[in-house]
Amino acid sequence: MKKLNPLLKEIIILVVISTVLGISAQAVLPNGIRLITETTLLGSDSNTVVVPSVSINPEANSDAASNISLSEVYKLHQSGAALFFDARDPDDYLEGHIQNAINLPAHAFMDSLPYLESLDFDQFIITYCDGSDCNASLDLAADLKMMGFTRVSFFFGGWQEWLEAEYPIEASP
Amino acid sequence: MRLSILLKLVRNMATLLAQLNESRYANIFLTLLRIGLGALFIYASLDKIWNPGLFAKVISNYRILPLPLLHLSAIILPWLELLCGLALVFNRYARAANILIAGMLFVFILAIVASIYRGLDFNCGCFKLEATEKNMGTLKIIENLAMLGITGLLEYRFRIGGNK
Repeated sequence: MKKLNPLLKEIIILVVISTVLGISAQAVLPNGIRLITETTLLGSDSNTVVVPSVSINPEANSDAASNISLSEVYKLHQSGAALFFDARDPDDYLEGHIQNAINLPAHAFMDSLPYLESLDFDQFIITYCDGSDCNASLDLAADLKMMGFTRVSFFFGGWQEWLEAEYPIEASP
Repeated sequence: MRLSILLKLVRNMATLLAQLNESRYANIFLTLLRIGLGALFIYASLDKIWNPGLFAKVISNYRILPLPLLHLSAIILPWLELLCGLALVFNRYARAANILIAGMLFVFILAIVASIYRGLDFNCGCFKLEATEKNMGTLKIIENLAMLGITGLLEYRFRIGGNK
């Protein structure tokens, strides 16, 4: 057999050791994850999307926000029992959003802390963003859970599904 | 524009180093670069090693890797960064580590360019996993290109035999 190039041998050794260390570390680390990607099905019956479970709950504990379907969202909207948070950018929000929703861009979460602290932590909250192609609603829901809100759901169908269903919307002037 | 200036800088440095081949200062300079780059990779790996779930989430935001490979890469990549960093700092297997680091940087640059091109907006997960880290942009690419330039200099040094 031809002798392996020493440089290539060293590269292979580094990669193999990293792989072994990485995989064994998962058994020891408090936040260890599984080797196989765990996924979760999100969305309504007609429009399901497979997302990695870490998108919903990267800390890998069981206390994650939950998915909520269009019909449930609509019911809660009509009864006024839930607070709606629009996780998109202000530009998108101004163009049009679910009626009575409050704009709370996911990446500017820290800026909203003073407002959030004034709320009741048992308040039912629904987050949404554009639709199944965005993660902002998941991120915002995870952040709210982490902050201590007890009842947080994300509406994965988001703005697109709401718009198609022709449910109440409003645009800011 | 800034990119071309950077490339020119790297090229000029390489010429300079070629002239300083036998110079003691060049050796000291390259040793510092090697240790510095190694230390940077060690630093960058720690947060990801401690929280592979968060790192997996960051990778998934790039929407490049197929799902089955997501956890696996979130598990292996940080350890590869750590090991290569240590190898550079302690100068054992340093040339192999340097090549692996160059490969990783190349992939990172491609990933960042692709996500900017597709208009994705999220935290890059380069050094820290928190959302407070600055979002991706040209600056991130320049940072990575600068590091890639350093790996080029080091490889040049290893090649001409001075494994110092």
